[in-house]
Amino acid sequence: MLIEIEKKSKTYRFEANAGEKILHAGLRAGVPLPFECATGTCGSCKARVNQGDIDEGWPEAPGKENFKAAKREMLMCQCVAQTDCNLTVPSKIKAFREDDINPDHHQGKITDYEMLTSDVLRFEVKVPIEGTFHAGQFFVLQAPELEGYRAYSMVNYSQSTDTLEFIIKKFPGGELSNWAFESNRLNETLDVFGPLGRATFHPDEGHDLFMIAGGSGVAGLMSILEHANQVNYFQDHKVELYFGVRTPNDLFFAERFRAIKTQHPDNVSINIVFSNEPPTSEQLSGNDGLNYLTGFVHERALPAVLEGGGNTMHYLAGPAPMVDALIRPLILDSKIPADRIRYDKFN
Amino acid sequence: MSWKAACPTGDVKQDKIKECTIDGVEIILVNVGDGFRAYPPVCPHMEQYLEGSGICANNVMTCDRHLWQWDMKTGEPLGPAEKPLLIYDTKEEDGQVMVFIDEELEYDFDDDDDD
Ligand SMILES: Cc1cc2nc3c(=O)[nH]c(=O)nc-3n(C[C@H](O)[C@H](O)[C@H](O)COP(=O)(O)OP(=O)(O)OC[C@H]3O[C@@H](n4cnc5c(N)ncnc54)[C@H](O)[C@@H]3O)c2cc1C
Ligand code: FES
Ligand code: FES
Repeated sequence: MLIEIEKKSKTYRFEANAGEKILHAGLRAGVPLPFECATGTCGSCKARVNQGDIDEGWPEAPGKENFKAAKREMLMCQCVAQTDCNLTVPSKIKAFREDDINPDHHQGKITDYEMLTSDVLRFEVKVPIEGTFHAGQFFVLQAPELEGYRAYSMVNYSQSTDTLEFIIKKFPGGELSNWAFESNRLNETLDVFGPLGRATFHPDEGHDLFMIAGGSGVAGLMSILEHANQVNYFQDHKVELYFGVRTPNDLFFAERFRAIKTQHPDNVSINIVFSNEPPTSEQLSGNDGLNYLTGFVHERALPAVLEGGGNTMHYLAGPAPMVDALIRPLILDSKIPADRIRYDKFN
Repeated sequence: MSWKAACPTGDVKQDKIKECTIDGVEIILVNVGDGFRAYPPVCPHMEQYLEGSGICANNVMTCDRHLWQWDMKTGEPLGPAEKPLLIYDTKEEDGQVMVFIDEELEYDFDDDDDD
């Protein structure tokens, strides 16, 4: 199917395969179509169908909330072309960075699967070819027999790898998380598409890093820490991470944090914030180099933000209400410019 | 239409967004220190109501959905924003904010300008 998007300056044309989401077809062809969640919730990938037939996909997608049926508006991340199509895309079509990696489809196989806590599991997906991604990016995954893709941020980082490492949090009533937790999924295959996402880290930008994560939001931030550490970034840049979980039993990745902290004790600050229980006495003894606090992660992190932001890039990742609750005070009280905030809302 | 009284000047506080409806036209009003500005009520990005999503500080408005920002005095986009805010003329008269409404200003959400 030929998809045509007319803009004043040029007409974009790309092929979509049978059953392929229009967003995926465009991005794969190097057309930087607008999107944010890639999973039907945010509405950023809105387009209007001028000509042609589409299957709009997920009928209840929250991203369609304000859409006008009369204008044939739809979400490119959900819909599939059934004939050649001509579309209008109201948002700008522009690349984020020149070194962005064109995403593609792969058949992935789960090659590692382990429980990290009672409701967080870690798994690795091996894809047929080596590639790379920006630290902080995500893939969308489709499990056998489940409708629709879900987004998961990579935890690992490498200049070239065929392995994507993910964590997934148990989400009551959630279909994919149910599937993942139900039984050991080692050797299962998944359809994956990526890499995607703009809450990324680029050493050449030279920023200090301030990071706030709730629960599984730490995934992409771990990838950023990995990348930074691989290029010895913390030799002369600082990072301050606030990671919120409920109780000491819900903490994971402490070893990985410690490994980075030990190498650059002065420039790396890792703060674990428990919302429901105080830290253990061993944690409080301070021997392991991490700081342990009690409270809500946003309340603990905000006072540490430097007014005006200086040279710092701020990364926020986790449940949408947490990210929303942080954006306002960061801009209003801490006077952080909007282009110094990168976020992923996990809806 | 013509100049219409929107509300008493004291009702439009700095760093706050005040919504009003004048003859059926919804607008939002802000105080930029040495005067007032009136814009259509929604974000030019994705029609989010700015009364809820707009954050005002130092004469910069930010929509908290995707962090588009504007210079509140000129409506010009800053940072990631791709479109300006549209502005109605305003003036003060007898303690009232007056807004000149000739026709309702609306964003073109199908605008396909990409540079
Ligand atoms: C950028 C981004 C990164 C994320 N990273 C992580 C991460 O690293 N770890 C983590 O645990 N979670 C992450 N999430 C959240 C994750 O994508 C899922 O929303 C979460 O795991 C719950 O999925 P579920 O299938 O269990 O729940 P469900 O409620 O079944 O589904 C949740 C989501 O799946 C999609 N969906 C549901 N039904 C359909 C359908 N019929 N058709 C199409 N789509 C459908 C929608 O996007 C919906 O919001 C991320 C989210 C985003 C947006
Ligand atoms: S990108 Fe399609 S709804 Fe978010
Ligand atoms: S809706 Fe306002 S910035 Fe996107």
